[in-house]
Amino acid sequence: MKRECIWQADAQQCVFRELVEAFSRPGAVRDLTDWLAGTAAQRAVLATLMDGETTLADPHARLGAADWSLLQARRDTTESARYVVADGRRAPGFQPALGTLESPEMGATLLIEVAAVGSGPLALELAGPGIDGLGIDGRGELHLDGLHPDWLARRADWTAGFPLGVDILLTDAARIVALPRTTRVTITGNPLT
Amino acid sequence: MSYVAIKGGGRAIAGAAAVTEYLRTEQGLDNPAAEPLAIDAILHQLRHLVDRVVSEGGVYHPQFAALAVKQSLGDTLEAAFALRAWRSTRPRLSATPPLDTSRMRLIRRISSAFKDIPGGQMLGPTPDYALRLLRLELMDESPEAFRAVARDWLENCPEADLPDSFPKVLDALRAEGLLPPLGAVRDEAPFDITREPLVFPVPRSAALSTLARAETGALLAIAYSNMRGYGDVHPTVAELRVGYLPVLLPHPVTGELTEAGEVLMTECEVVAMFEADDAGGKPMFTVGYGACFGHNEVKAIAMAILDRALQKGMQDGPENPSEDPEFVLLHVDGVDSMGFASHYKMPHYVTFQSDLDRLRTTRQKSGEPA
Amino acid sequence: MNAMPHTTRGSAYNFGFLDEYAKKEIRRAVLKAIAIPGYQVPYASREMPMGRGFGTGGLQLTLALIGPGEVVKVIDQGADDSVNAVNLRQFIEMTCPGIATTTKTAESTLIQSRHRIPEQPLTATQILVLQVPYPDPLVVVEPSEDKRKVMHGEADYSRLLVKLYEDIVQFDEITISHRYPTRINGHYVIDPSPIPRWDVPRLNDAAALTLFGAGREKKIYAVPPHTRAEPLAFSDVPFRVEDFRDAAGRRRACARCGCTDSFLDEFVGDAGSKTYQCSDSDWCDEQLLQAEHAQGEPA
Repeated sequence: MKRECIWQADAQQCVFRELVEAFSRPGAVRDLTDWLAGTAAQRAVLATLMDGETTLADPHARLGAADWSLLQARRDTTESARYVVADGRRAPGFQPALGTLESPEMGATLLIEVAAVGSGPLALELAGPGIDGLGIDGRGELHLDGLHPDWLARRADWTAGFPLGVDILLTDAARIVALPRTTRVTITGNPLT
Repeated sequence: MSYVAIKGGGRAIAGAAAVTEYLRTEQGLDNPAAEPLAIDAILHQLRHLVDRVVSEGGVYHPQFAALAVKQSLGDTLEAAFALRAWRSTRPRLSATPPLDTSRMRLIRRISSAFKDIPGGQMLGPTPDYALRLLRLELMDESPEAFRAVARDWLENCPEADLPDSFPKVLDALRAEGLLPPLGAVRDEAPFDITREPLVFPVPRSAALSTLARAETGALLAIAYSNMRGYGDVHPTVAELRVGYLPVLLPHPVTGELTEAGEVLMTECEVVAMFEADDAGGKPMFTVGYGACFGHNEVKAIAMAILDRALQKGMQDGPENPSEDPEFVLLHVDGVDSMGFASHYKMPHYVTFQSDLDRLRTTRQKSGEPA
Repeated sequence: MNAMPHTTRGSAYNFGFLDEYAKKEIRRAVLKAIAIPGYQVPYASREMPMGRGFGTGGLQLTLALIGPGEVVKVIDQGADDSVNAVNLRQFIEMTCPGIATTTKTAESTLIQSRHRIPEQPLTATQILVLQVPYPDPLVVVEPSEDKRKVMHGEADYSRLLVKLYEDIVQFDEITISHRYPTRINGHYVIDPSPIPRWDVPRLNDAAALTLFGAGREKKIYAVPPHTRAEPLAFSDVPFRVEDFRDAAGRRRACARCGCTDSFLDEFVGDAGSKTYQCSDSDWCDEQLLQAEHAQGEPA
């Protein structure tokens, strides 16, 4: 059986470094093509972060039985899982864990696949830590395609009470972009309006 | 001129290692009879040193523990540390189900609660009733005499018909309703302190595993504070057993439980002050549990007392240091505490420069000469 | 296994010493630390083959981050050749074959440091890992971690501020010399590790990510790039960095390179005389080199 390269430790290290960059600089689009060999970015991120010590929920049934045994993550409900893998084209019909005041890291990481990261009709203005602008209160922008409009509305609720919240990683076939809970998002261009 | 060793740090480290290695082998200078310590000799003749290291190192590997004792020149903190660091490189591949300690192949078993116990008291190897007199005849023991002792002992040892398992003393008390029944806690997955950080409050399994690999002296000191009066466990040793426990692992293919080997361990169950249960039921004794790798009775007893003290602290709030989970569990690890004590030997001149600045500024402000 | 280990020829240990599962756990904690700036994420710190307190937290971060092509710099007290820095660098070289090490700040991609942030401003392509002995600034006012976690969550630092205020009443000055409590992104107050106050302003709106690893206390936290980092102070008693002026008010210079805007180490000579020298050895070398170039001498 040919093994996808994303199960190799050195590919996972490279993907992890891209994740570090993505979360450090919200809105900055990172391209994982070099490490994927055809695998979808979301799957590579799962391979990088999952093992038997963490929990994962799959409300949109994106994973097969073989994936679960490879990832080794413990299956959990969307309400309590540390990681949730989702299809961004569908509305988020669930409530993820937001963490607690004492342990905000229990707030979930949502891995959401969309049609395109870095291009598309949905235009967002971003502000917050990690965003490089002129001075510390810089603004960034992000274009997306194929994100159900409910996600941003729900995200605004989920991240309203810092330090509680969720941290989002959006992926398309090969690119990733992060919206940690500290990022303030304004919709500046929307195909639906 | 420079006081900072801009070059030479690497040479200094190599030099320190070399002189330590010199000390290890110094005996061989002009001494043709000098031999390196054999791992086997450490395993057998310094077995309690090995026992401490497997227990505090948190991994049952007596050979590597003996090696660690050898390379650290007998420093148990250093040896346990080396074994722990080796452990960090090993993936966790499988977990055993809870193992039944009534199946231990015992070498020693006592109860101070009852004169006679089901299965009988078995004193076994213990210095408890030995006179601590220096045995000067061992100063110059001949190899022949050394070999004869064990042989003679075995030859004169009567054949005993020992059963495969001994019932636990606590079972009888439990059957009588004087102890709470074993609860559903048995089904909870135990907390793995090597994989999850301790975030308080922690479950009892996290406390037990932290205590099980704690430094013996640290555990003893805190337990002793409870015994002396900073606490009120007032324990009675219901049972202390030492022996070899079969380790059962799921077979990698069939999943069937298979005996993979056995570990030498010490287990102690203390019965402590009784209390009424929350629902207003009959008062019952409470239990403290201690267990560790190797033969280390002081550690198992100290652990059992602290387990009971911590359970009380978790339930009613700590009134003494030994009842405070954070205080106990964060201060008993040998690797953590010895490392931090050692780190004070590292250069701190940046922070000290900063301290000097603050003191001078403060003195200037109060009008004194800096 | 879902992470086939790096094959390291001829070595008994995995690339980066730690097994891949240990790295995954650290990596998950790192991402949460970045997402919640200043919050101390607990993790199951592994034992490393050097003492707790010698940089095991920083080292675990380095080993979870490091990959082929990395250029690593390790410093202690600002110097690359301090014994502890040498020790850590040798360990990284031994367990991570194929990576490069350097003493030059500008060349490095990953810097592990104890007690200093390099004088040379870091760039967006660099990551700074700081070793942390005490991660929690609230420990001076509250010994129980349980209670501290609530205080942090509520951003309740009133007791810490009272402590600073008492200092001012007693000494007319904030007496905290290093490990200066610093508020990140307007919420969490961190212990920025025992860096001097001199280095604290570098955390504010930095181009590089700074990660903090406390191995013995089993915590990881982060100051992301372009994030607010404000030392706690009062409007009438501002935060002040170390003062390197002499009695006449002149800024002291490094005795080696002549630099007048770096953090200085003080040396006491046999006769009680004092000299000063850059704490950051690479910075000092670079200043010397530049001075030589300016004089037209061969480098």
